[in-house]
Amino acid sequence: MTSLENQIRNSARKFLEDGQVSCVIGYERDARGRARPAFIVKADDTERLIWDSDCSLNLVNYLHSRKSPPGKDQPIPKTAVVVRPCDVRAIQLLINEQQLKRENIKIIGITCAGTDINHQLRTECEFCQERIPLIYDVLVEPEKPVELPASQDAYADIEEMESWSSEERFDFWTKEFDRCIRCYACRQACPGCYCFECVAEQVDPHWTSIALEVPEKMFFHVMRAFHLAGRCVGCGACEAACPMNIPLGKLNRKIAKEILELFGYHTGDNSENLPPLVCFNPDERLKI
Amino acid sequence: MKVTTQNKINEWLAGFLQKSVVIAPVETEGKFVYRQIEEYSQIAWDFERTDMPPKTAVFPMTEPILYIEQGSKTILKNPPLPKNKIVFGVRPCDARSMLALDALFINKEPIDPQYAHHRESVTLIGLSCPQMWDSCFCTVVGGAPNSTDGLDILITKVGDHYAVQTFTEKGTELTDKLISEEKDLAIPKPVLTENLPTLQKSGEWMELFNNIFWEELSQSCISCRACSFVCPTCRCFDVRDELTAFRPGVKEFERLRAWDSCTAAGYRRIAGGHNPRDTQNKRLRNRFYCKFAYYPDDFGPLGCVGCGRCIDACPAGINILEVITRVEQMTEREKVNG
Repeated sequence: MTSLENQIRNSARKFLEDGQVSCVIGYERDARGRARPAFIVKADDTERLIWDSDCSLNLVNYLHSRKSPPGKDQPIPKTAVVVRPCDVRAIQLLINEQQLKRENIKIIGITCAGTDINHQLRTECEFCQERIPLIYDVLVEPEKPVELPASQDAYADIEEMESWSSEERFDFWTKEFDRCIRCYACRQACPGCYCFECVAEQVDPHWTSIALEVPEKMFFHVMRAFHLAGRCVGCGACEAACPMNIPLGKLNRKIAKEILELFGYHTGDNSENLPPLVCFNPDERLKI
Repeated sequence: MKVTTQNKINEWLAGFLQKSVVIAPVETEGKFVYRQIEEYSQIAWDFERTDMPPKTAVFPMTEPILYIEQGSKTILKNPPLPKNKIVFGVRPCDARSMLALDALFINKEPIDPQYAHHRESVTLIGLSCPQMWDSCFCTVVGGAPNSTDGLDILITKVGDHYAVQTFTEKGTELTDKLISEEKDLAIPKPVLTENLPTLQKSGEWMELFNNIFWEELSQSCISCRACSFVCPTCRCFDVRDELTAFRPGVKEFERLRAWDSCTAAGYRRIAGGHNPRDTQNKRLRNRFYCKFAYYPDDFGPLGCVGCGRCIDACPAGINILEVITRVEQMTEREKVNG
């Protein structure tokens, strides 16, 4: 079996040569050795594609700029994208929310051993039970099987925070958001945040101040976490994008834990069941 | 050459702290930022380059620029004048960035009164770099790790001692209180990064305005604004009148300005919904052109000091030094092809 990278390159090349897609979105290495997104349109350029634990930005986010016809009477472009199991849940979510069509995407799914944030394995990856994406057109497999983690407690760190008092939790987040520069990198990197105009920036109504102060920053992050309730797939793109190392994943995963407990819903399991806070289901009962 | 020790510097700082606002680099959760300090022990000395620049001392992230009371009459009030501030531990690139900001805010009419007051109120104490750090390129844009431009004072660590140079009256007022001795001390030249590109002049950038390179580069840009916010020279801002109090017959507003960035999708959107920079391509291209063509053409200095923070901050791996290199290559190719 060839290495992960060769498999990615071969499938990308085939998709391009066969004309099945006009672009492959994957990762390449920059001059400093860091992974960064690559947009490959020529078959020979597929040699640039790489895969390593530095690949932690969710490439599904880039499908938002390829989901509409580029001009009048033109078709929606077809794109191949390299994804981890968490990323593919975002594709399911976006199909569910009528943003993407399955037939316009070729999924190059990675058998994933986890990716890093700031050179450390992501907390979610430590406990993630998924090695193989739920859907794919091509599955990229490693030479040796990737083992599942021993612990299944995907929310151990969240449970720890839940044992803190309200004051302790408020103090923790006040300290974290003091460092926040309200750049919106987290929002921009998130495949679930695709509003044309974000509530945080809306002029009319002027929902929130433009100030870059802790109360406004906290409002933005908590509001964003709530707007992602039942929609966040835990890909960690927000944390990867944050220039100030704020552990945003803890907010989103706290809410994801509650959604799982209340509704038995895990975002992106399929592309038919809308997230519980996005739809009205008269038969729904909370599992309180 | 004035030479002093760490202890004497600490005492000097302790002296200021009793009377002035002192802003210095501190570490918070692994990131180095400039914050007001209460004790000199809070200062982080072991940083290479801070993650956020000291421009917050003269251009805060948020500041009120006017207070408005709307009742039977409209009453306007200016915000109070800022207190005097000492900014300690400023890298030479960041000091040069203040000069770049001056070119817009105070050296050309109309003068920005807020910025002018902040600038008057700060004394900049620089800390020389012994080398160019990873992702630094100050030499490409006319700077140097030991540049003195824009500083009131520069201190350079040499072994166990510090060499102290003073350039302005503001600086002398402070260094007069520093205990030091006159000594001959050889300051080693900083270690420079090699094989850096040559920055092309604005005319050459304008020749490449419609080049497909910008479209290809901007595909990975997510319009996140991180680059502009960590940048010591970026200075675009948004202004909103925000209601702060409401009682019968009277509304009080503050006119707030807050950081913004040309990379944001809505930055250039105007009334009616038209957006001259409606694509990522146009926005990202604008950021580079502002720094290397428009700003020097309009105001004199370059809009970049080569600190490299944007290179570290960009989630999508867009690298301004790579852009400068590509522009050099494309310009050379044009010349060869005639």
